[in-house]
Amino acid sequence: MEFSHDRSDEILVINASGRVDGSNASDFLDTLQGLFEPGDQQIILDLGGLEYISSAGLRVLLMAAQNLDKDNKSFSICSLTDSVSDVFRISGFDQIIKVFPTVDAAKQG
Amino acid sequence: MRRQIRSQEYEFVFAQNGVEALQTLNDDSTIDMVLSDINMPKMDGLTLLQQLPEVNPNLRAVIISAYGDMDNIRTAMNRGAFDFVTKPIDFDDLKITIARTLDHLAEWRDALASRDQLVALQNELGIASQLQQSILPKQAPSSHSFEMAAEMEPARNVGGDFYDYFKLGDEIGLVVADVSGKGIPASMFMMSSRTALKGSAIGVCEPKAVLTEVNRQLHADNPTCMFVTMVYAVFNPATNILTYSIAGHDPPLKLSVDGKVTELPQTDGVALGIAPAVEYSQQSVKLESGDTVFIFTDGVTEAMNHNNEQFGMERLLETFDGVELNSAADANQRVIGEVRRFVGGAIQSDDITCLALRRL
Repeated sequence: MEFSHDRSDEILVINASGRVDGSNASDFLDTLQGLFEPGDQQIILDLGGLEYISSAGLRVLLMAAQNLDKDNKSFSICSLTDSVSDVFRISGFDQIIKVFPTVDAAKQG
Repeated sequence: MRRQIRSQEYEFVFAQNGVEALQTLNDDSTIDMVLSDINMPKMDGLTLLQQLPEVNPNLRAVIISAYGDMDNIRTAMNRGAFDFVTKPIDFDDLKITIARTLDHLAEWRDALASRDQLVALQNELGIASQLQQSILPKQAPSSHSFEMAAEMEPARNVGGDFYDYFKLGDEIGLVVADVSGKGIPASMFMMSSRTALKGSAIGVCEPKAVLTEVNRQLHADNPTCMFVTMVYAVFNPATNILTYSIAGHDPPLKLSVDGKVTELPQTDGVALGIAPAVEYSQQSVKLESGDTVFIFTDGVTEAMNHNNEQFGMERLLETFDGVELNSAADANQRVIGEVRRFVGGAIQSDDITCLALRRL
């Protein structure tokens, strides 16, 4: 996987691209949690470049979402490709994690 | 080197010749390394080298030879010497050679230890895999009016699929499920899921109520955010109605007797174990004579070939399009056959599970 991020006005936007499955899911979690800083109030995960996510990857998103929720931080994901969007819809994760079409829409909340 | 000897980092044991050296090595199994001349009375260094593995395969030998004696040095290396030093001995060089040999031995021991751990881990994965297989029902229910069949192709590294069918009075409960992740955590969560499901299903006829209860139980104690996706259905052979509830899973397919294939309506439930206090919903479908309902896990649709292309829903639908099925097992075998053909030699990373219910 590849990551980049951008931080402004207490909003952290993380771009994650590539594929996430059981082999790199724990690295994925470590990378995400390593990027979070106490000052971030809103975290947006832009998955526009994500080609594939397995159930192990979904679990990482859930753990990140729960940890941020405990700290009263807002967490959302955006820009899902069709196949990743299908996975979210079928698994029902779109009912648990906030999903937006674009980064801008996610910023509006 | 005196310093290392004095500080007891190194301890030297001396022998006059190869025979005595072997005797000493046999008597003292704590020796790590042999430093030997080639020319010795009774048994020379090259013969000694050949005997060392029998005494202790983890011994390392450094051979001392005359400068330019390339033939003997080559023979010594071929017989498993770790390194050599030449005469006249440069003591700095000898010190470095000894240190390097002992470093290598330390790493070698670490590698042996991790190999043992890996073997232990693989044994545990083997047990997890057997556990997974052992909870699958051996015999599918059938009668004069319907038949069921299921098939699972387990992934190499233990996935978390399971299926089951059980009698509920005059009705039959059936389930296909897929636990998140793989390996031992997945197989443990699979066991809890199966227990929760069977416990909740007994005496409750509404699939939506069963999944609501299973979710409640799994969510109550789930710090690691594991989850399971599931189709749980109840078939009534008297009315030929199948009622099902879906939790985060692909919907079943209906394969009509005329060769038409349709996805059954979703019930839009969240995967089990991750959301507190969710109510699940359900749908019903009536089976006509010759109709089949096919339930599967994403090991089918996400099976990947060498180009990282997925088998996908379209290919699954095409597998059945216009096909006249002979039996419930026929539906499963067609899919598993098509997936195998598509995947080619690529490694199967997820369990593939199919369950078919056919009205006769």
